[in-house]
Amino acid sequence: MIHPGLLSAVMLLATVLGAAGCAAPAKPAPASADHALHTDKKTSDRNRMWQASLARAPLAVTVAFDRTGQLWRARVRDGQVWLDRSLDQGRRYSDAVAVNSQPERIAADGENRPKLAFGPAGEIYVSWTQSLDVPFSGHVRFARSLDGGRRFDAPLTVNDNHDTISHRFDSMTVTAAGHIQLVWLDKRDAQAEARVGRRYAGSSLYGAVSTDRGSSFAANRKLAEHSCECCRIALALDTDGTPVAVWRHVFGANTRDHALLRLDDQSQPVRVTHENWALDACPHHGPTLAIGHDGVLHLAWYSGAEKQRGLFYAHSRDRGASFTPPFAFGNPDAQAGHPQVLALGTRIALAWKEFDGKQTVIRVQQSRDGGRTFAGPATLAASASASDHPLLVSDGVHVLLSWNSVAEGHRFMPLAGDSP
Amino acid sequence: MMAATRVTLVLLALLAGATVQAAEPMPFVAGSMQQIRAAHAGRPFVLALWSLTCTHCQEELTQLGKLQHRHPGLNVVLVSTDTPDDAAALTATLVHHGLARAEAWVYADGFTERLRFEIDPRWGGELPRTYFYDRAHTVTARSGALAPAELERWAVTSLTTPP
Repeated sequence: MIHPGLLSAVMLLATVLGAAGCAAPAKPAPASADHALHTDKKTSDRNRMWQASLARAPLAVTVAFDRTGQLWRARVRDGQVWLDRSLDQGRRYSDAVAVNSQPERIAADGENRPKLAFGPAGEIYVSWTQSLDVPFSGHVRFARSLDGGRRFDAPLTVNDNHDTISHRFDSMTVTAAGHIQLVWLDKRDAQAEARVGRRYAGSSLYGAVSTDRGSSFAANRKLAEHSCECCRIALALDTDGTPVAVWRHVFGANTRDHALLRLDDQSQPVRVTHENWALDACPHHGPTLAIGHDGVLHLAWYSGAEKQRGLFYAHSRDRGASFTPPFAFGNPDAQAGHPQVLALGTRIALAWKEFDGKQTVIRVQQSRDGGRTFAGPATLAASASASDHPLLVSDGVHVLLSWNSVAEGHRFMPLAGDSP
Repeated sequence: MMAATRVTLVLLALLAGATVQAAEPMPFVAGSMQQIRAAHAGRPFVLALWSLTCTHCQEELTQLGKLQHRHPGLNVVLVSTDTPDDAAALTATLVHHGLARAEAWVYADGFTERLRFEIDPRWGGELPRTYFYDRAHTVTARSGALAPAELERWAVTSLTTPP
């Protein structure tokens, strides 16, 4: 007699062993059923796991200010992205609107969360990663609202390779011309190499652009080969209108430092961090990038390299060609991780997570001179429960922290020196 | 299709038989790490953190299974960062890698930062993560799948070093 849980376990094992890449750290995806054996049993197992995954309320919360100063907030519940808005800096929110009417499995924890962007005529754009049945696989999804968020068009799948492989960790920005730029990590090249028996380090960075307000996207373009597989991509818009991407890359055999690419159709990726973190593992720890109105790039990242473990900040005054020597911040003996950087003129804010032995705290450090010097760190929020990564946003005047935790719920608070 | 079904049935039968010997992973909660260190006081052990959702962990488990086969006296402690709901899949995976007899634990607290802190405040959460505890419990931490030679070198050194 086979134990009831064993069948699903074997199926999960089989898919895990057959897959390549990194999945979200939280939970494995349901196994795929590809044989006729015990179809009913498999279907019910899969449905049960599917329902369980839908029922879990993911921790990831995304917030963004639109061009008129309204705050928008995206959360995932029951397989739908729910969007609400606040006119008073997060004190009260409107009723939430479902972005996708048909539920699907949406990646929404840690390094993966829905993204929000706004067009010049008030368009609202939402992207997310749809997790597929096989672990580590996903599609990049996109939906838009042209009526101020009252209703959304049916979502599009942006990746034009539809194999059940990884197209995940989407990031999105909108250029001054109103073009929508999406980038993501894509396993199609690794899959092609595997078919001819060759090993391919990591994933590839792919992108797609829409020039028609999200009605359609142009053909996918490969932007870089050999990205790390499971770290968020930092994407920001330069003052000259060029989107700039920074991601964890695989240099050589397994050195997982960071690369930068200006998405201007001419530039090549350049290496921008040099801790030489060599390992065959999934850091689940992507970088963060902000570009000020003065065109200075501000970058923060995590490294686990033995001799340079922790969080680092650097800035570039030549559009990413060279960076200042790294400034170490956070306490590496307190799990300092998951940094955010924000630039508001010459005011630069860093926020990150630490664990003090009893609770998780959000620490903040600020510069008033464009990132040359930083005031000492301060604790802004704490929780003795599971929590999301911190996010920093600005309405152009204030800098605010968005942070979700199980015990306290979603909090939105100004940094020191800001009256809300 | 028929061949695939037959292979699946054989695999199921093997695993069903093998899991009889493999215990369910124990719940790893606040205080468990202290308990593990105390239980192995004065003895070397290797502590390996892994997850079902981590590809490189499969390579690591394969090597640890072989290591334990070569050195039956070696204490291997495995902690999965999945959840107790995944117990069946965890057990099946460990059996598959020849680690049915290893001491197995699974995270049983959603507040994983606290668990990670008790294991190692300096660990960023990357997987696989391996800790070599020598007889005096001086610890060497390593991230990523390890080369078989490194595991073997540690096993030989720690097992032959007199107390």
